[in-house]
Amino acid sequence: MLKWFIVSMNKSALLVRLAIVIGFASIAIGFLSSQLFYKLTFNQEVAITQQSLGSLYKTIAATAATAAYLAEKDLAQEVVDGLATNEVVLNAKMNFENIDVVSNTNTFVEPVVFPIQSLFEVDKSIGTLVIAPNIQYIEERARQLAFDNSKAMILQAFVVTIVAIFVAFFLITRPMIEIARALHKTVPGEGNRLTVPDFHQNSELGELVNDVNVLLDKTEQQFTRERKLRKEIEALEKRFRMLFENSMSPIILMEPRGNIILFNVAFETILEKLNLQLKKSFGPLLENLFAEPEKLLGCVELAFANDEIATGEFKLQTSEDSASVWVQVVVTSVVNEDLREYYQITLHDISKRKKELESLAYQADYDKLTKLYNRQGLEKEIDVFAEQQRPFCLALIDLNWFKRINDIYGHESGDEILIFVADRIKKTLRTQDFGGRWGGDEFVLLLDGADEATTKDIVTRLVQRISKPYFLRKFNQNVAVGASVGAAFYPENGVKIQEIINLADQAMYIVKNDRDTDPEKSLKFAHELVTQEIIHVKRK
Amino acid sequence: MLQLTLLKTMILMGGLSFTTLAISSELVLVVHKDNPTSMLSRSQVIDLYMGKYVAFPDGSKAVPVDIENDLVIRTKFYDSLVGMSLARVNAYWSKVKFSGRARPPTQQKDEKAILAFVKQTENAIAYIHESSVTDDVKVVYRFYE
Repeated sequence: MLKWFIVSMNKSALLVRLAIVIGFASIAIGFLSSQLFYKLTFNQEVAITQQSLGSLYKTIAATAATAAYLAEKDLAQEVVDGLATNEVVLNAKMNFENIDVVSNTNTFVEPVVFPIQSLFEVDKSIGTLVIAPNIQYIEERARQLAFDNSKAMILQAFVVTIVAIFVAFFLITRPMIEIARALHKTVPGEGNRLTVPDFHQNSELGELVNDVNVLLDKTEQQFTRERKLRKEIEALEKRFRMLFENSMSPIILMEPRGNIILFNVAFETILEKLNLQLKKSFGPLLENLFAEPEKLLGCVELAFANDEIATGEFKLQTSEDSASVWVQVVVTSVVNEDLREYYQITLHDISKRKKELESLAYQADYDKLTKLYNRQGLEKEIDVFAEQQRPFCLALIDLNWFKRINDIYGHESGDEILIFVADRIKKTLRTQDFGGRWGGDEFVLLLDGADEATTKDIVTRLVQRISKPYFLRKFNQNVAVGASVGAAFYPENGVKIQEIINLADQAMYIVKNDRDTDPEKSLKFAHELVTQEIIHVKRK
Repeated sequence: MLQLTLLKTMILMGGLSFTTLAISSELVLVVHKDNPTSMLSRSQVIDLYMGKYVAFPDGSKAVPVDIENDLVIRTKFYDSLVGMSLARVNAYWSKVKFSGRARPPTQQKDEKAILAFVKQTENAIAYIHESSVTDDVKVVYRFYE
C-alpha cells in the first residue's frame, strides 16, 4: 500500500498538490488562529487578573480598613504580605496616616489603587491599598495557554491534513490513477472495458468510467465497420489489380501532359518489344511510341471534341528490321474527385490480325508467282492515278515465244521465265512506277507521268533485258523470250481506264502481228494506231 | 434560625419603638461632671469606642463603658454611632484584640450601674438615655442634634 502510495505520489502531481494545499492551509489556519487565540487569551487573562485583584481586595478590605484605622503596621504588613503571596500579585503596598507598608522591593508597574474606606464613617477614606499585578506571570500564563492551544490546533491541522490526504487518496486519487492506467492500456478494438472503482457506482468518477466505456463501445463499432469496409476495399482492389496486372493489353493512366501515373505489366512488355526503356513520359498520349503520332492526336482530338471515347488503329514506331506492331488505341478522359483530368489509354495489340489482313490483301492484289501486282492490284493503282488525275503511261507487255517454251520445257520452266521477267521489270522500273502481271504471259507497267520518250527509254531497256538469253539449268539450255509492248497515255488517249487499257492492248497486238515483218519493233503507242487497225483488231 | 433572628429583630424593633415612645428620649454620651471635656465630636466618640485613641482631647486617658444587659440600648448606640450591628462590632473586636493594642470598652450591667461607675470614675465615658441623665454626669455628645 505504501509502495502504491509512493508510486502514485511520483506519478501523479494530483495527490502531491492536494497534500501541499491542505498542509499549507492547515498551517496557515493554525498559525493565524493561535495568534488570535494568544491575543484573546492575553486580554482575557488581564481582565481576569483585574477582576481577581478586585476580589482579592474585597477579601482583605475589612482587615486592611481595620489596620489603616488603627494604624496597625503589623496587621497592614500581614495584609500586604498575604496579597503578595498570590501569583497574580507582584507587590502590594498600604498607605495610611503617612505610613507606607510594602511587601517587597519589586517596582510597581501598572499598579491598581484601591482606596481604604473607613469602617465606621461612610465616605471617609483613611488610606490606600496599591497592588502591582504580576504582568510577567499573566503574560506567561496567557502565552502558555495560547501555546497549548496552538499545539492542539497544529495537531488537529496535522490530523485533518493526513485524513484529508488519505480520503483524497483512497476516494479520488487512487481510483482516478487506476482509471487513467486502465485507459492508458486500453486499445480500442480489443474489447477491454474499464471497471468502475469500488464505492464509485454513483459518483462522478463512476459516471466518467461509464461514459468512457460508452465511448469505447462506439469507437469499437466504428473500428469494426471500418475494418470490414477496408477488407471489402482490399478484396475489390485485389480483383481490380488482378484485372489490371493480368490484362494482356497495356493500360496506362496519365496526366494530359503525358506524365504516366499508372501502368501494368503488359505495357512494360510492349516497351520491351519496341526496344524502349520505361520513362516517365512518352509525350502526350504516348505519341513518341507511334509511327504517325499526328494521326493519333487528330483522332483523339476529334473524338474528345465530340465527347466520345477515342478509338483507332495505329502503327507503333518500330526499328527497320523488326516486325511492325499495330495497336488499337482506346483513350478515355477521366475526371477524378479532385476535378483533375486524366487519360486512360488502353492498347490492344492487333499486329497479328493486321498481318493477316495485309496478307489477305496481298494475296488479292499480288501475283503469287512473280510477287508483282496482279490484275486487281494494278487496277487499284490505276484507280488511284485516275482519282488523282495524275498523268501516266500504261504499257502492256506480252511475251513472245513464251507459249512455245512452255510447251517444250514445261510449266515449271515457264514459271521460271515469268519470274525472270518480273525480276527484270522490278529492276528496270523507277521507284514511282508500278509493274504487275496482267494475266498469263502479259505484264503491265504504270509509268508515273512518263512521256513518250521516257516510255520509249524504259520499255526499250526492259525489252533488251528480257530478250537476253535465259539459262534453264534443268535442261542445260539457253532460251530467249521477246516482248511486244503497247502503250497508251492517260489522259491524252482517254480518261476512261478501260479505254486506255484497250488502246494499249490494240497497240500491243499490232506489234505482235508485225513481229515477223518488223522484228526490231517492240513498242507501239496508241496514238500511232489508225482507225482501220482498231476496227480490224476488234473484229479479230 | 434566620426566621428566629427576624422575629427577634421585629420584637426588638417593636420594643424599641415602644421604649422610644414611652421614654421619649435619645441616647447621649456622658462623662464625670468634673471632666474638663465639654464637647466631643462624632469622630472623637468613634475613636474612643472603637479603640483608636482611648483618650480625651486634653490627653487624659479615657475609659469607655458599654452597657452589658440592655442590648436594645447597646444596639441602638452602635447603630447610631457607626451604623454597625452588634455582631459586626463584636467581630471587629475579636479581630483587633489579637493585635494587642486596642481593647473593647469595659462593661457595666445597666444604666444604674453605669451612672454609678461614671460618678465614681473621673475619666469614664458612657452612653445612657437622655432621660436618665443626673447631675453627677455631664453630657458631651448628643445624637441627632
